[in-house]
Amino acid sequence: MKTSFTLLFFTLNVLISDLAFSQTGKISGTLTFDDGAPVAYASVFIQSIKKHTLSDERGRYELTDIPFGPYQVNVSSIEIQKHDFSIHIDKTNLKLSTTLKRAEDSELDEVIVEGESHKSEIEATGFAVNVIETKKASLQSLQTNDLLNRSVGVRVRQNGGLGSQVSYNLNGMSGNSVRIFIDGVPISTYGGSFSLNSIPPALIERIEVYKGVIPAHLADDALGGAINVILKKGAMNNLTASLSYGSFNTLQANMSGSFRNSNSGFTVKGSGFYNYSDNDYEVWGKFVRNILPNGRYEYVRAKRFNDAYKSIGANIQVGFTDVKWADQFLIGYNVSDDYNEIQHGTYMTIPYKGRFTESQANVVSVAYSKSNFLTKGLEVNFNGMISDRKEVVNDTVRWNYDWFGEQSIGLNGDPILRPSGAQQGAPTINHINRSISTFRGGAIYDFSEKHRLVFNHMYYTIDRTERDDLKSAIEREFIGTRDLTKNVSALAYEATLFESRFKANLFGKYYQQKIDRMDPILITSNGEQIKGEDRVSSNNSTPGYGLATSYKLKQNLTFLVSAEKAVRMPSENEIFGSPSENIIENINIRPEVSNNLNIGLRSGTYSLNPTNKFSFYVSGFLRDTKDKIVRKINPRLNDAVQTDPFENLGKTKSIGFEGEINYTWKDNLDVLLNFSKFNSVFNIQYDPNGKEYTYYNQQLPNEPFFTINTTVQYAFKNVLQKRSSLNLYYSAGFVDRFYTTWLEIEDFRTPRQFIQDIGMNYIFPNQKLVVSADLRNIFDQQAFDNFAVQKPGRGFYLKVNYTINKF
Amino acid sequence: MKKQFLNFLTLSALMGTIVLSSCSDDNGGDPIEPPVEQEDRFITVAGALMADNPGDGNGGTMVYSVSIEEAKDPETQISVYTEGFGVKSNRTARLQSSEDGSTLFNIAYTGDNGGEFSKYTVNGGDSFVQSDVSVNISQYAGTSPRWLKLNDGDKTGIALNMANIAANNAPAGNTPDAAFAYYRGVATVLALDLQESLIRSYVQYEIPLTEEEEAEGHTIFRLDGSVLNKAGDKLIIGTWMRKYNVATGETEGDYERLGSKSVVVDYPSFANPSVINSTVGHGDNSGYRSHYSYLGDDGNIYQATERDPAGSYILRINQSNVYDDSYVFSLNHALGLSGVTIEAWQYAQDGKAFALISHDGAENGFVVWMDLDARTASIVDMPYDADLEFNQYQGFVVDGIDVYMAVTPVGKDGNIYILNSNTGVATKGATLVNQPGNHYIGIF
Repeated sequence: MKTSFTLLFFTLNVLISDLAFSQTGKISGTLTFDDGAPVAYASVFIQSIKKHTLSDERGRYELTDIPFGPYQVNVSSIEIQKHDFSIHIDKTNLKLSTTLKRAEDSELDEVIVEGESHKSEIEATGFAVNVIETKKASLQSLQTNDLLNRSVGVRVRQNGGLGSQVSYNLNGMSGNSVRIFIDGVPISTYGGSFSLNSIPPALIERIEVYKGVIPAHLADDALGGAINVILKKGAMNNLTASLSYGSFNTLQANMSGSFRNSNSGFTVKGSGFYNYSDNDYEVWGKFVRNILPNGRYEYVRAKRFNDAYKSIGANIQVGFTDVKWADQFLIGYNVSDDYNEIQHGTYMTIPYKGRFTESQANVVSVAYSKSNFLTKGLEVNFNGMISDRKEVVNDTVRWNYDWFGEQSIGLNGDPILRPSGAQQGAPTINHINRSISTFRGGAIYDFSEKHRLVFNHMYYTIDRTERDDLKSAIEREFIGTRDLTKNVSALAYEATLFESRFKANLFGKYYQQKIDRMDPILITSNGEQIKGEDRVSSNNSTPGYGLATSYKLKQNLTFLVSAEKAVRMPSENEIFGSPSENIIENINIRPEVSNNLNIGLRSGTYSLNPTNKFSFYVSGFLRDTKDKIVRKINPRLNDAVQTDPFENLGKTKSIGFEGEINYTWKDNLDVLLNFSKFNSVFNIQYDPNGKEYTYYNQQLPNEPFFTINTTVQYAFKNVLQKRSSLNLYYSAGFVDRFYTTWLEIEDFRTPRQFIQDIGMNYIFPNQKLVVSADLRNIFDQQAFDNFAVQKPGRGFYLKVNYTINKF
Repeated sequence: MKKQFLNFLTLSALMGTIVLSSCSDDNGGDPIEPPVEQEDRFITVAGALMADNPGDGNGGTMVYSVSIEEAKDPETQISVYTEGFGVKSNRTARLQSSEDGSTLFNIAYTGDNGGEFSKYTVNGGDSFVQSDVSVNISQYAGTSPRWLKLNDGDKTGIALNMANIAANNAPAGNTPDAAFAYYRGVATVLALDLQESLIRSYVQYEIPLTEEEEAEGHTIFRLDGSVLNKAGDKLIIGTWMRKYNVATGETEGDYERLGSKSVVVDYPSFANPSVINSTVGHGDNSGYRSHYSYLGDDGNIYQATERDPAGSYILRINQSNVYDDSYVFSLNHALGLSGVTIEAWQYAQDGKAFALISHDGAENGFVVWMDLDARTASIVDMPYDADLEFNQYQGFVVDGIDVYMAVTPVGKDGNIYILNSNTGVATKGATLVNQPGNHYIGIF
């Protein structure tokens, strides 16, 4: 009876549609499992026109009033594996029948699917962006930096093991031209203790890496790119915890949970992490030698002995979510602390003992967001943070040590003093305190379905004070202060046109920076010398603008173009100089400017047949940097102190391409391969005499310019127990050799590297417990990110993850 | 190359071919073994690559060798940057050569191998063979050491360092609660056996100034430019002075300078450091990457000054190892210019010398011929390009009365010049092919 009623309704509907709207059609379809059973209550969704329905208990569904044209239909349910397919409506009634696969481990896969759709949504906006999902990787004993390093076009260079100093290279741009954000807020708000070194992947939802062109909502002067870490917002009412232990006495633990009262909307979220490693891995080779009293070398194999790292942090947010007056209103407190021993400086040839840093951050935050604020289509968001950061650099040990951690003894039998007083430089216990305020506010207004305005403003201020306990009282009194205030405004217009085939994002940015410098000076007043203040402030402002567009060439193929005139404001040292390095100030120094361009092609999933699928991404890029800030050279010997400022003299250019291909076989095999190759070149063509520089268009030294990464995953279902799964991982990274100086001799060339890791995990049938194991650097190869700094060799790690959902 | 080399030539001329079979450490005058046929000696040219900025010389160092005849011939084209050999040093190498030009000595400046001493056998062209044994002095003298080959016939290199200059009442020191008395650093004096490639000896100590000087904040900031006296029993070390403002702890840029100072220590023990003072010069005398004091044929030591308020002087230290303040030789005065600074200089023979200078009236550098006995100086007649700078100049070769030097403006071609020390006349030698941003830094 019910069935025939529905049929009748369908028929009627068809008639009405046919009569009333000749340019629209309808879809009527059925959803079945492989074995023919109907898929009931599945969601059927056409994103581009926001049409949505559910299948009935016999698997039937219908969508009406659909304008003629191509569409992507998306079917999802807790019972099935998510399925996307394309249709073209060119008649009034399109009949479809779709066969779907049963979901195996519904809970995990469900979340992964959601993430992937977020990933593809961002990746289709036109920006040159990779979105790194952390869901699967967080089950393994991997660091956040490992995930970044495997991503296309990203090169992470770390000065040793867990916790050591890191720099990032995005498409040939590195150093302070790459900015890092946490939830859209500059990471300097948190400092070293809450950084990509300490935040475990399990607390991260995803990482967005924007290369060269940065969207308006990430408001900072990022010349070469931005890495935005989105912390997990969390599925509600869950608790997850994991514990990992492995080589080099490495222990990593993290925990996160959230609670929401569905009546009041009261929400509490909390997370915490703990990392510890001795990093006492073995090093060897030509850079690892003990120097005998007579100066001769003795090459040794030694364990690092002053390299321990510990970090601990917690974050709690309390407030309301999804209530009438706010989508979210959360007040948060983030505390983190780290301790980091430093084994050596730029090169590992001289081991240190007793040098370490400690840092702490206490951050209080408030976050508010609301869609349809006052009027329909208007979303507002606000983020405010006040941070108190403390850092201590401690280096007081006066003697030389060898690689066995023992004092070096000189020819006359005495321990040898370090040439500059302590391990790295002069003895120091330097306390650097920063108080930072970051306020970010934004509004998004959809003034029609296809047009959107985005405004974002960031205000950032940092007051820094310094106190070196090993300086005398008067010296301490005469240390200056530097206070920085930065305002970045961005306005973007986004349009989606031509039946959603074309997306454009046009944006302008305005950067303003003020730095106040106060240096104490002695002034003579009534014949007496008193302490006075010499104050100067520097104001810099500059506009920037850019565009990101995407065009769907075919259903499955999107063409992406983005460009930006990006800037980097000069740093305080570049403006005010550094008396200790004899650099004088240059108040008029201009920002560095780079014209960045990306052209790319990104595909959706192509099915070779039902079991073999692949997708790909290729992109070419250009970074044309001008007004690079470099230090002027003084040709005169006579100046009592070398007094040269920084100047806008340099020009570099980076041209390259990158690509990624993803192949899947059934649901078992997933292969990801990416590569990046670029030429980062010296770009000043003529010297003052009009002669062409030999370096012109030559590769800059110390750039890892060619990298390949691959990860392979194979999943076995129902191993040992039903509804369990066993996943195997393999990953490999290749970095081609490169010269580290302009002088191209073999001694200054890094070795070619190929480092391989394997891992596995077993997901228990209850889907709550996951046990994983990893073997990193399986062939114990010498790995180098930086010249003459060896990274950890073979390491074995075990990890247990536990999740409780819906308590 | 040095005065000793000339002694040898004189001896050779008088006595024909002889073998100097014994030669005491103490006289320090004669080379330990005769140079092999100097007719065939190589002339090694060194050039510095730019790194980020034209003329910074920080991109590394390349060398190339030719015969002495080729060096004299203006038809010879030497292109060290395209045909030369890269010396293992991250930044500009600190090169020295044996007296006969057959061996190059280098201590790498900064980098993973900073402080590493190595020897290269010069085989001509780009053929330089590094000896198997390296020795590293960085534990004693740091990874960017200042060092020079001593005037004792290729036997010894002297490296110097001044570390951790701090007030006596610095919190990390031994007397944090005492009243302020001085700023001092710890000096290291190290002897390197160039033949055996071994560190021979070292000392570390503080070198006090007078109480009054120290109370005003004066201290020795850097040591370099060492020379052995005629008796061979004292090492005279040049100083770079610094003054701290004792009320603020900051270093002062512009202050009333003390008379030039040198540190005198016993040789070879390096014991008993004492400070000698000049009342003539007020500049520093540690030099920069090259010798700044020479033992003259008359047994006196001649020392140049830099950062001297009245322009560079040549000072004289007599055989009693004290400044001879009756000897006054002002380059400003002798040249009739102001702000004359000796960037590098070379004693040739018989009181004749050449200096590379800059002065207030011109952007570029000049070559000056000096007669130390007559205290006269004149600018050598040769082309002076506006981009000619000698601030990084490191090496000269003395061959009889001739002094060989490289003259290239930054980014422009130049020549080897052969300077006659008796006449002050420059003769153009081989062409040095340059590249934009680079310059030649010496002849070895």
